[in-house]
Amino acid sequence: MKLTVCIGSSCYIKGSQSVVERLQELIAENKLENDIDLCGSFCMGRCRQGVCVTIDDDTFSVSPESTEKFFEEEVKTRL
Amino acid sequence: MNDLCAEIGWKSVNHHGEQLCGDHVEVIEKKNGSYVIVLADGLGSGVKASILSTLTSKIISTMIAEGLPIEDCVATIADTLPVDKVREVAYSTFTIINIKENSAAELIQFDNPHIIFIRNGDAIPYAKTEMNIGGKKIFRSEIKLRENDVFIAMSDGCPHAGIGISYNFGWKTEDIAKYMEGLMSIGYTAKTMSTMLVDECNRLYGGKPGDDATACVVKIRRRVPMNILFGPPANRDDCGRMMSLFFSKAGKHIICGGTTSAIAAKWLNKTVRTSLNFENDGVPPIAEIDGVDLVTEGVITISKVIEYAEDHIGENKLYEKWEHYNNGAALISRMLFEEATDINFYVGRAVNPAHQNAELPLNFNMKMQLVQRLTESLKKMGKQIKVSYF
Repeated sequence: MKLTVCIGSSCYIKGSQSVVERLQELIAENKLENDIDLCGSFCMGRCRQGVCVTIDDDTFSVSPESTEKFFEEEVKTRL
Repeated sequence: MNDLCAEIGWKSVNHHGEQLCGDHVEVIEKKNGSYVIVLADGLGSGVKASILSTLTSKIISTMIAEGLPIEDCVATIADTLPVDKVREVAYSTFTIINIKENSAAELIQFDNPHIIFIRNGDAIPYAKTEMNIGGKKIFRSEIKLRENDVFIAMSDGCPHAGIGISYNFGWKTEDIAKYMEGLMSIGYTAKTMSTMLVDECNRLYGGKPGDDATACVVKIRRRVPMNILFGPPANRDDCGRMMSLFFSKAGKHIICGGTTSAIAAKWLNKTVRTSLNFENDGVPPIAEIDGVDLVTEGVITISKVIEYAEDHIGENKLYEKWEHYNNGAALISRMLFEEATDINFYVGRAVNPAHQNAELPLNFNMKMQLVQRLTESLKKMGKQIKVSYF
């Protein structure tokens, strides 16, 4: 699975660093390093919905607070 | 004309407890790579010394720049300087570095520590002719310039550093020369070299300098062009024209901005590979595109570069950050402040609709202001700047 976090200007201001760090922790805790390819992207063009995160071709709006919920509900269920 | 150029930087530390510096550096830039640089040290410290050194350096630099002989300069100073009531003398020492069309340096020295001259990384002696002008012993030298030549002019506050505290007889000029030789291979700017020298003096004085201490460094460098692309063009149809102009230029290429890097990657038929390394100092991660020397985020990164740049031309307290960090702004700073001498800006005027949002501190006017502030600071560092808007 390819999990991409926007690190463009706007999402960076909205906390993409915390989202990335939380996702890295969650992936490590769940031992999913071999199943999830976490990467970054510059502006995805949906700054209003930031922090933008895509799972393959689907886009989600995630905040540092909602990262864990997003991981449980959207990431884990798709594996 | 050759392809050499002079980079000039200086820094002072005041006599402990004084608001004003009794040393003064004056630089006059003339056409065709000629500069007159004067470092003067006024008698005493504080206001009186400051007036003496300011007058002396302004008078000498103006007169030398107009091509008048040194004898006339000395006579004018003797007639002009106010006489100290206590000591009954009017006195300021001076060091003149007269760079002629980037090919020769004339050094004229009166009563300051002698200029340290570094060639090929080693401090070496140079011929001096002694002259007697109006009872003053003045030394004159002429040196043909080569790449990487460095001249270090100082006030006596530098070699006197640490007398009775760290050293019995102060920081000897030979030892200062050794210290400066050690900085040569790293590629520091002239400003940073002068800052490191003066900071070390301040340290030797135990943070309470017993005299004003000033260092002025002149570095002879080969011209290095650099190109920076910032923002997409206002009109989509101009993308191709903007990219071909940018990439056809000699020198390294820096791209700032997410959308901008996407446009460049498409034009090059390459991909943008974004890193997820969040480095220090609040700057977003960088990216890579084959064929581009550096790819970064836009406004946040450039704002940080401006913070580093405005500090560098002033107090220079942050150089250790951009010198050692590996965030996008630090990488740009090293390329622009240390490497480049001629910088071409390719600025796109497109409005990013996603940024026109009241919640975010990003907007179009801010982007244009960033370009203006950055280019102003770079000009003050002595860089040649060209800006093209699209």
